[in-house]
Amino acid sequence: MHHNSHDMRPIQKHPLNVRVFHYILLLSFLPLAATGLLLFFKPLSQEGMQLTYDIHIIAGVVLSLDALAFTVIAFDRVVLFIARVFSLSERDVKWFMVLGGYPQKFLLGKKVPVPPMNKYNSGQKLFGACVLIGGTLLILSGLVLWLVPHVAPRDLVWLLGQIHLVAGLILTAFLPVHLFLAVYRFDDFKAMMVHGNVPYHDAAEYTPLWVEQEIVPVTANQQRNK
Amino acid sequence: MNNKKHVFAEDSFFISRRKFMAIGAAFIAVMAIPVGWFASKVAKRNDYIKARSAGLYKDDAIAKLRVSHANPAVEKYYKEFGGQPLGHMSHDLLHTHFVDRTKLNS
Repeated sequence: MHHNSHDMRPIQKHPLNVRVFHYILLLSFLPLAATGLLLFFKPLSQEGMQLTYDIHIIAGVVLSLDALAFTVIAFDRVVLFIARVFSLSERDVKWFMVLGGYPQKFLLGKKVPVPPMNKYNSGQKLFGACVLIGGTLLILSGLVLWLVPHVAPRDLVWLLGQIHLVAGLILTAFLPVHLFLAVYRFDDFKAMMVHGNVPYHDAAEYTPLWVEQEIVPVTANQQRNK
Repeated sequence: MNNKKHVFAEDSFFISRRKFMAIGAAFIAVMAIPVGWFASKVAKRNDYIKARSAGLYKDDAIAKLRVSHANPAVEKYYKEFGGQPLGHMSHDLLHTHFVDRTKLNS
């Protein structure tokens, strides 16, 4: 693809509503992961565990309301995210065979060819699917375990507890990887945490298919929306 | 929301309307499944208790002796040994005594 390596023209990658959603998700999930691990291993005193539980509940309510509000207010973004995350192709298989070229880059210091990616690479798509499915399971099971464990059938409550545990552990395990790669892809990090935009050269390098197939000049969209 | 600071953005119609609606409907359906499933589980949670009480009522209806104080053994106990129901002897022998052990753990 022909592009200037320092083409700094901004492409909007994460609109404001997505960034606000992501911020609240971040601020609620970090305490949830920490208190969840504490609740699992129970290292504290009775009072400490009670406080941990209270923090877990409050953060869980914040996360649930965030997810619900975003689904209602920005339903189009949710549908687009699902469409992206669950679209699979041969490129994803090839991406996973080289793991996006990241291990080679970090461990051996060499660059291997990576298949062109859309807005999210295959690893992000896998993470996105886990967040969608696991997050939904965590919210639903958490609500039952917190509010109506005495009303629900005993075996169902046990099953939901196991689901809550496994989904929580999987998403928590993803967290360090997500944080590390988020900071590594610094242009994308700034887009999500600050202004929403990525420079053209960064998008063209990491997400060439997205730039080719889905990106248009802003004026074109404005004309079409009129 | 659209601060116009960017020069490019996603084409708002990169996904077809038909596909958008299909994915959206599937998402709503998947989100609705656990609600129905859980509601039916809750609705059926007392079925076995209801079946058991129905069985007990049925047993009761066909039983010869339908009240405990008509039990000949109980009648014999009061007549020959225990004296009056709720009397001192019966109270000592038949009532369970409890000890408060809730403070032992603290």
